[in-house]
Amino acid sequence: MIKDIIKGIFKDKFATIAFIVLIFLYLCLLFADVIAPYTKDFSDRNLSYVPPSPIFTIDENGKISKPYTYNYKREYDKDLMQTVFKLDRSHKYYLKFLARGEEYDFLGIIPMNRHIVTVDENGRLYLLGGDINGRDVFSRLLFGGRISMTIGFLALLVLFPIGLLYGGISGYFGGMTDILMMRFAEAVMSIPSFYLLIILAAILPANMTSTQRLILIVLILALIGWAGFARVVRGMVLSIKNSEFVQSAKMIGSSDLRIIIKEILPQTTSYVIVAMTLSVPGYILSESGLSFLGLGIQQPDASWGNMLKEAQEYTNILYRPWLLTPGFLIFVAVLSFNLIGDTIRDVLDPKSKVR
Amino acid sequence: MKRIIYIILFVLILALLLKSCIRRDIPDADISKTNVLKTENTVNYPPPAQTVTLDGIDYLQAQTPIGKYGGELITSTIGEGPKTFNIFSSKDATSSEMSGLMYDALFSTNPQTGAVEPKLAKNYEIKNGTVYIVNLRHGLKWSDGAEITADDVIFTWNEIILKGLGNTSIKDAVTIDKKLPKVIKTGKYQVQFIITKPFAPFLRIIGAPIVPKHIFKDVVKKGAKEFDLFYSTNTPPEKFVVSGAFKLKEYVAAQRVVFERNPNYYMIDKKNQKLPYLNKLVYLIVGDLNNEILKFEAKETDIISLKGSNVARYKAKEANSDYKIYNIGSDTGTMFIVFNLNKRKNADNKFYVNPKKQMWFNDLNFRKAVDYAIDRKSMVQNIANGVAAPLFTAESLNSVYLNKDIKGHNRNMALATQLLYKSGFKYGRNQKLYDKYDNKVEFDLYTNAGNTEREALGVMIKQDLEDLGMYVNFKPIEFNSLVNKMTSTLDWDMIIMGLTGSPLEPHDGKNVWYSNGSLHLFNQRTSRDTKDDRLDFEKELDTIFDKGALETDFKKRKELYDRYQQIIYNQKPIIYLYSPTRIVAIRKKFKNIYPSPLSGVIYNIEEIYEDKN
Repeated sequence: MIKDIIKGIFKDKFATIAFIVLIFLYLCLLFADVIAPYTKDFSDRNLSYVPPSPIFTIDENGKISKPYTYNYKREYDKDLMQTVFKLDRSHKYYLKFLARGEEYDFLGIIPMNRHIVTVDENGRLYLLGGDINGRDVFSRLLFGGRISMTIGFLALLVLFPIGLLYGGISGYFGGMTDILMMRFAEAVMSIPSFYLLIILAAILPANMTSTQRLILIVLILALIGWAGFARVVRGMVLSIKNSEFVQSAKMIGSSDLRIIIKEILPQTTSYVIVAMTLSVPGYILSESGLSFLGLGIQQPDASWGNMLKEAQEYTNILYRPWLLTPGFLIFVAVLSFNLIGDTIRDVLDPKSKVR
Repeated sequence: MKRIIYIILFVLILALLLKSCIRRDIPDADISKTNVLKTENTVNYPPPAQTVTLDGIDYLQAQTPIGKYGGELITSTIGEGPKTFNIFSSKDATSSEMSGLMYDALFSTNPQTGAVEPKLAKNYEIKNGTVYIVNLRHGLKWSDGAEITADDVIFTWNEIILKGLGNTSIKDAVTIDKKLPKVIKTGKYQVQFIITKPFAPFLRIIGAPIVPKHIFKDVVKKGAKEFDLFYSTNTPPEKFVVSGAFKLKEYVAAQRVVFERNPNYYMIDKKNQKLPYLNKLVYLIVGDLNNEILKFEAKETDIISLKGSNVARYKAKEANSDYKIYNIGSDTGTMFIVFNLNKRKNADNKFYVNPKKQMWFNDLNFRKAVDYAIDRKSMVQNIANGVAAPLFTAESLNSVYLNKDIKGHNRNMALATQLLYKSGFKYGRNQKLYDKYDNKVEFDLYTNAGNTEREALGVMIKQDLEDLGMYVNFKPIEFNSLVNKMTSTLDWDMIIMGLTGSPLEPHDGKNVWYSNGSLHLFNQRTSRDTKDDRLDFEKELDTIFDKGALETDFKKRKELYDRYQQIIYNQKPIIYLYSPTRIVAIRKKFKNIYPSPLSGVIYNIEEIYEDKN
C-alpha cells in the first residue's frame, strides 16, 4: 500500500512538489544546528530589529568577488526619535562555508561547531534580519520549526489509538454499548476546547517549561479530539462486521478484542492514513494560534506561533516584514500537508475521485 | 513542444535566481533629513484661572487666549469602555475619567507645578493643620438649574464617601489612625473638614468630586447594591445632572460615548463668554492599540498617544501632516524587577522561598550585583524604541518629589562580579555561579505572558544575569496566576512588573512601602504574620511614611521622601528599569493645548477650541 501511495504522490505534480517541500523542511529542521548560523539564544543587543544582512557578489569597483556582507551599525536619531541602521562599510565580512562558529550539540549529543554558512566572529550574518532582542530570525525559524512541525504527530499518537479502539468496540458490539459509547463521544465533542485551553493556561502549574506545557495542552486537545474520529471508525466497523471473514473469525472462536484489532480495524487503514495526514496541519495551526495568544510556547523558546506574535504590531508589518516569515512557513507547511492528504485519499479510494 | 516550454521556464527561473544572487555593492547616497520638526519640551503655560464675580456669581475665568465656539474633539479609549457613569462606584480608569468629566472636583492641580488650585471651590484655608475651611463659589448651578451649595458637599462626604458606598478608596485614604474626618456645614457656601492630626495628603483628597444631593439622596438610602447600579451605563442621558464642562449625550456600548457641552458651566473666558468652546467631546471605544492608530490615521480621531515604533513613523510624517507631536515627558508608569525577600513560612510550615534562595535575595551584594548587571541602555533602545528613560528611583521621573541626587549608573559587570565575590559567591565549571555552600545559583523569573514588552525584557534580563553566571528560568505565566503568586501564595523568586504611581503624592505608594501594606511586593506579609520581623530599612521606611503624612511643609516633606528613594536605591529590594516617555499627536486645528507631564493633554478640555482655518 505504501508503494501505491508513493506512486500516487509522484503521479500528481502538486503532490510531488508538496512532498519534496515537506521532506526539505523536515531535513532542514533536523539539521537546524548545522544550517543555522547561530544558536537559538544567540543575541546581539545592538541589532534589535536589524534588517536582513545584504550579501554582495560584486564589489564596489564592479568586480566579481567572493560573497561578502557588512555589519549594520545602529544610530539613534533624536529628532526623528527613530533607530536607523546603516551599513558599516569599513570592514567586509566574507561568507565562510562549513567553517567554525557558535558551538552546539549536533542532534543533542555530538558537540560540533561547524556551520554551513557563517562569517568571522565579529561579523553578523542575519539572513532574515533580527527580532526585538537582536536574535537571528533565520536561526530561530529553524529551531522553532522543530516544535511547530512535530507537535501534530505527538497529538496523533494519542488521538488515533483511542479513536480506533473506541470506534471499533462501539461499532462491533452495537446495541446498548454502541448507544452509550456514542452519546459519550458526542458529549466529549461538545466540550468548548478554546475556553478549556484558556482555563488550562491559568491553572497549569507555573513551574513547567513551556515545551512541557505545550505538550500537555496538545495532549489534552487530542483527548477531546478523538471523538469525531471514533464516530467515523464506528460507522466503518458497522459495515465491516457483517463481512464473511469476520463471521469466519467468529466461527473459529477468536476473542472479540482480537477480531476488532486483527480483522476489522486493518480494514480502516486507508481512512486512517488520510485522516492522519489531513489532521497534522490542524495541529500546526493550533500550535501557532495558541502561542500567538500566549498560551503555548513562551519566550525565550521559539516556535513559529510565538515568533509570528512579534509581527502583531502593525508597524512591524510595515517596517520589518521579515518578522512575517514564520507565517509564510506555516502557510507552506499546512498547504503541503493538505495537498498530500488529498492525493493519498485519491489513491486509496479511487471511487471518490473528483475528476 | 511541451518539453520546450518547461525548459524555457526552468532556464528563466534559474536566471532569475542567479540574478538575485548577484548584487552589486553600491555605497548608498547620504539621505538628507527632510523637514523634521523639533519636538518641543517646553510649553508656555497660561497663568492659572482666576475667580471673577459677575452679578453675584463667582465664575472661574480662564486666562488662555480667546477661542471660537463649536466643533468637536474625538478621542479614543482602549478596552470595553466605561462600566458605569457613577463617579463613586467606578473602579476602572475609563469609568473614572468619563464620570470625572461630568463631576467637577473641589480642587484641581496646577499642570505646571502640581500645586492645589481651587476649582469648584472658591478658596480654602487651613487652620492648625487640622481644620480645612472650604468656601464654595456663589451662584453655581447644576445642569438642571439647581444651585450647588454646601449641602451637596456635606451630602457627598457624609452620606456617600464616609459611609463607604461604592468604591471605598477615598474613605480608606482619609482614615487616619482608624478615625474618619468630620465634615460640617458652617454656612450656605462653607464647609469645614476636621481631622485629629495633620495629614499632608488630605487637601488633595478632599478635592474630590461632588454629586448633587437632590438626585442622589433617594438612592443612598437603598444601600450599597442599589448605589452601585445607580447612574449605570443604561441610564438615559437626560437623567444626568452634572457640574462638569460636559454632560453625557449618548452612549453606544462598545462603540462610542458622546458628551455635549454643559451650558450651565461656571468657567468663562477673558471676554466673559461661557466655556467650554467645544460642542461635543466624543470617545470612540476601540479594541486595541493597532485599532486606535488606524482610527487616527483614518482621521476618525483627533488625538492619539504614540508608543514604540509608531513614534518614529508619525514623526517622519509630521511636517506634511495636520497634526503636531508633543513630548509630554516621562510617564507615571514604572517598570521594575522585584526580589522576594520573604523569610517566613506558610500555613503548612513550609518556607515560601527556598532557604538557599532566601540567603541570596537577602544579601545586599547579590541584589546590587543584579542591578549592576542590568543593561538599561539596551532596554530603552530595543524594547522602548528609544522613547523612554532609564529609571533608578522609586518615584517616577515626572514626580514633583523625585530625588534628583540619585544619578544612577551604567552596566558594570566587573563591579557586579566583585560584589558577588565579596559575599562568597564563586565560579565553578562553565563559568556558572555557586554560592559559598556550593549551591548552584538558579532561580525563576516570572512575568505575565502575552505582553511583548515584558517578555522581551525577561529575555534580556535572563541574558544579563546569565552573563554573571546565574541560571535564570524565565517563565511568562498567565496574568491572574501571577497576581495570585504575588499576593497570596508568595512562592516566587523574582518578578518583572510595572506599577503606576502618582506624580503628586508619594503617600499614594503607601500600600507598597509600608511593611504591612497590601502590595508590599518584596516582603509581603499575610494576616497570619504578626511577629515583628521587619528589616532595618523597612522600619525606616515605615517611619518615613508616617512622618511624611504628617508633614505639611513641602520642603521638609521632600527631604523625607528623598530619603525614602535613597533607601530603596541603596537597598534595592526593587530594581527599577525604565520609564516610558509619553508622546502625543493632536490635530493642529485644536488650540489652547498645553500638555503637561503631570496632568496630560486634555485636562483643560473646557479651554480647548477648534480653529477651522
